[in-house]
Amino acid sequence: MNRPTVEDQLERDPSLSPMERREMLALLGKWVGAAVAGAGVFRAGEALAQQSEAAAGTKRKRRYGMVIDTRRCVGCRACVIACKAENKTPPGVYYTVVFDHVIEPRIDDKPLFMTKPCFHCEHPPCVDVCPVSATFKREQDGIVVVDYDRCIGCRYCMTACPYSARWFDFDENYAPVEENTAYASVPSPEYRQFRRRAKGRSPVGNVRKCHFCLHLQDENGEYNKAEGRWPACAKTCTGHAIHFGDLLDPASDVHRLLRERVAVRLKEELGTEPNVFYLL
Amino acid sequence: MYVYDSKVGRRRFIQVAAGAAAAAGAAALSGCASVGSKEHAIAANEQGLAEWGREAGEWIPSCCNMCGGQSGILVHVVNGVVEKIEPNNWNPNNYSNISTDFFQGYTEEYGTAEGGCICPKGNAGIMQLYDPDRVKSPMKRTNPRKGRSEDPRWQTITWEQAIEEIAAKLKALRDAGEAHKLLWWSEDHSFTHIQADFCTLFGSPNYSMHSNLCDVSRKASFKMAMGDERPLADFIQSKYILLFGWNPTSAIKWVYLPRILTRAIERGARLVVVDPYLSDTAAKGHEWVPIRPGTDGAMALAMAHVIIKEGLQDKEFIERWTVGFDRFAEYVADKTPAWASEITGVPTETISRIAIEFATTKPAVVDTWSGPGQHSNGVQGGRAIALLAALTGGYDRPGTLLIPDKRGNKHVEVEPDKTASQTLSQERYDGLSDFPFGHKSGVYGRMWERLLEGKGPYQPKVGMCIFQNLVMSGPGCAKVEEALAKLEMLVVVDTMESETAWLADYLLPGTVYLERYDLNSHWVTWPALGLRQPVVKPLFGQLAEYEFVAALGRKLGLKTADGTPFFEVGPLSRKPIENLTAWYEDYLSNELVNGAPKITLDELKKLPGAVWVDKGGTRYEKYADPIPLEKLKTAFIDGDLQRDGSAIYDKPKSEHGKRIGTVIGGRAVRGFFTPSGKIEFYSPKMASMKDAMGEPVDPLPVYKPRVWQPDQEYPLFLINWKEASHTHTRTQNNAWLNDIKPENPLVIHPATAQRLGISDGDMVWVESRYGKTKAKAKVTARIHPEVVGAQHGFGHWKLGRRAVGRGAGFGDLNTIAYDPLSGQGLHKEVCVRLRKA
Repeated sequence: MNRPTVEDQLERDPSLSPMERREMLALLGKWVGAAVAGAGVFRAGEALAQQSEAAAGTKRKRRYGMVIDTRRCVGCRACVIACKAENKTPPGVYYTVVFDHVIEPRIDDKPLFMTKPCFHCEHPPCVDVCPVSATFKREQDGIVVVDYDRCIGCRYCMTACPYSARWFDFDENYAPVEENTAYASVPSPEYRQFRRRAKGRSPVGNVRKCHFCLHLQDENGEYNKAEGRWPACAKTCTGHAIHFGDLLDPASDVHRLLRERVAVRLKEELGTEPNVFYLL
Repeated sequence: MYVYDSKVGRRRFIQVAAGAAAAAGAAALSGCASVGSKEHAIAANEQGLAEWGREAGEWIPSCCNMCGGQSGILVHVVNGVVEKIEPNNWNPNNYSNISTDFFQGYTEEYGTAEGGCICPKGNAGIMQLYDPDRVKSPMKRTNPRKGRSEDPRWQTITWEQAIEEIAAKLKALRDAGEAHKLLWWSEDHSFTHIQADFCTLFGSPNYSMHSNLCDVSRKASFKMAMGDERPLADFIQSKYILLFGWNPTSAIKWVYLPRILTRAIERGARLVVVDPYLSDTAAKGHEWVPIRPGTDGAMALAMAHVIIKEGLQDKEFIERWTVGFDRFAEYVADKTPAWASEITGVPTETISRIAIEFATTKPAVVDTWSGPGQHSNGVQGGRAIALLAALTGGYDRPGTLLIPDKRGNKHVEVEPDKTASQTLSQERYDGLSDFPFGHKSGVYGRMWERLLEGKGPYQPKVGMCIFQNLVMSGPGCAKVEEALAKLEMLVVVDTMESETAWLADYLLPGTVYLERYDLNSHWVTWPALGLRQPVVKPLFGQLAEYEFVAALGRKLGLKTADGTPFFEVGPLSRKPIENLTAWYEDYLSNELVNGAPKITLDELKKLPGAVWVDKGGTRYEKYADPIPLEKLKTAFIDGDLQRDGSAIYDKPKSEHGKRIGTVIGGRAVRGFFTPSGKIEFYSPKMASMKDAMGEPVDPLPVYKPRVWQPDQEYPLFLINWKEASHTHTRTQNNAWLNDIKPENPLVIHPATAQRLGISDGDMVWVESRYGKTKAKAKVTARIHPEVVGAQHGFGHWKLGRRAVGRGAGFGDLNTIAYDPLSGQGLHKEVCVRLRKA
């Protein structure tokens, strides 16, 4: 298929100055390396649906994903903390992190901010390597999850993930939990399992990752932003940079943005088909 | 789940069908998994969901106070524990400072269209509340010696004993006719009114607060230029945004700032940031203009020069709404870009180009904050920037600097009794009236100086410090410590054992904002007021700060002029109220009923998101508003209504009348609250004023170099800044915030680093003529080559176990310094040298 390249698209974006165009291409160079030239501009809709079917071998009901607007991300890291507050993750476990890499080549080291959760890839390399089938991609919505009761903590999946989106729970605790304040009684709502931190009990010793705050879905597998049932990072984002939704739903924000704007995915050349897109 | 339902009158819970999790699990099991799939059901915990899920417990609307921004929050409290804090979608402070933007798509049920947001600190409030290092009970010092290395040897005491002993000391002071020898310091957003009331009724004129460490120079600059202390930038409707030393997307003063700034860019605005450091805001900008610290005023004057030379000023606006333009034009006639380039280090062409871009793009907004402000020439520099806006007609029009309309709760002033009046009439210890543009927050630096030298009108004996870390806030930490140690008694109320608490005679546990009340009239451009309310009981059974103040007032039997025991009788109900919390609720109700909302506290609690928002919305060109006839009838006219320039007050000045307008063009209009009623390029009144050093005040925004300049020995400028990750010196013990920002490296330009043989990550000694500190080097071109800098707030030697030794503190590299016009603490006027440690 003869798809337009990112360069073509950036060239045509009237809102970009020549300088910005150069910066973004440079950024791409850093992130997607040799694949820049071949990196396809993402086409929403049909392509997504086709990919889903190919990946799952079945008609996908939903395909949850994120579209993150790098122009809106101010690097404040509210997402990082909101995620901790939601999922009660311990020190050393971050379901999302914020990069502030310097755009090269610039003389002033100006950073470009971007938050980076798990990409819930269509072809998640992490899933394939799990020896105990603890981690898998949900067929109904594409979310990649970890079953803490099965996970043996071997960490193969961590090495397999090309995006460093997985974290090992080393049984560290923040002071209010470690020192047994009232907050230590609060369980994590993850997977609706409401586990409390306890030595030697899962998820201690397990691999952990972003699950798009799966526990906030209703019985139909739907989220609702107005009611606050929305991934914690997207809900708190000060620049409103994190868009979340069903990539297959033409009425969703994410679908619209992929239609209207230039989006890229990281390390496209690996064929992982991430479901998290970055707007330039 | 918090959703507002007017029928219920407050909030309701959205009922998600019980067993939703089971259904989700069943879906996974339903057999649609393809061959080879690893998918299987993950069992949910039904009991856990019922007990701890989003539908369990309560969602309580409140306001944040992790910083002074006061964003709206929703707090999920389950089984008496704060489980989560989320944005409050009904509060404009979380969304936009312009009403049309806020109300677009707003519904009573769900609030704003896109939902609000809260910053990392707001999310991390839980770690502040449950910090195990919090002060848990009142403590009394047993070591008479005070100093950084003197352990107070705390003795735990009861609240009763603490109040008894503190009140006894205060009573002795008052009985001796020395009530004015009480110095009181507080934070500037929280429960300030009741503390001011206490001081008034006790008889001390020395109530002071944080602002003079922060932005009183900006307040003075704008007050001089256009008569309001805090105009607010309308970014979202602007097409050209020029910022001098302000970092709004990271030093998130109000959490709507990142949204309205990035949204403005999206809508085609150009963002230019003038700053010695490529701040996180500059990272979102189209252009970063590196400038030498403290020279922003010179660049602004040169821009004015270009604008006037090119005839690009808004002549109609200037003619109608300003005075002194000719004198100003004459003054800037030789302030060429070449002149400014020499001073600022900004290329001549850049200054000219930005001047023309700024004057020809409509609407354009220019703003400044504490970057240029915290230097000895900050006030006049800021005034030059404020006048750039005047040149282009950039006040109170969409997309410019808007005059705030901050009507909220009303501080109902108390009338002191005879005893109090006698000492109240004493001069303030800091001689605030010597500062022609001083702010009611006082001048901390002047107090420290006088305490150290034993000079001043009298020698204070008691200090009361609530929710402030005076020592770490500097400038000149060591000197502040020395000064505080001179007091006979220092009482500190704080949640943490801060560096200031370490010097206290009594240390009382304070409350985190989740344990207490407050009213917050928000800094948006139209009236809005959010409620802070206790979502959990104070964890250690401690009194909230206002309860402590009231309890002290009761113990002392403080009365108003009519003999009412003020702290015992509800100010609204006029009935005795024994319970301290209930009494304060009545106090707040009184402020609401007498203020703009005209509702009680209970009624405020029932509003969507517990926030009152005036439906009138943002109004523009308010300076042209006529004064309504009914107001004119009771107004006090300073002069006569026929004469242009006569000032109009709501009541006589002797009755604390407030300026409400001026006669302009034969009409009584709001105008600007300057002496002339118009924006003043030149101020005849200033020409006759003297600053606190006895020097004449420049009636024009004259550029003078700041006092402390780099020299051979200390060749580098040292600056500091704020970022989203921490608030002042307050949050460095917060477990989550330390995760995202564990330390504050010293940012050094590669050329400087190379010259000094410093590599990224090296430890370096930073030395000034007053002291030295060790810092970790971060080598990056994000900073001006002549400047080094770091985030403010680190380098604690107290506060909490996790804060100590983290990052570098620079407060000892400076000495006590404040500017003579506004009393602003000069945190950024330091010169240093570096060497590898």
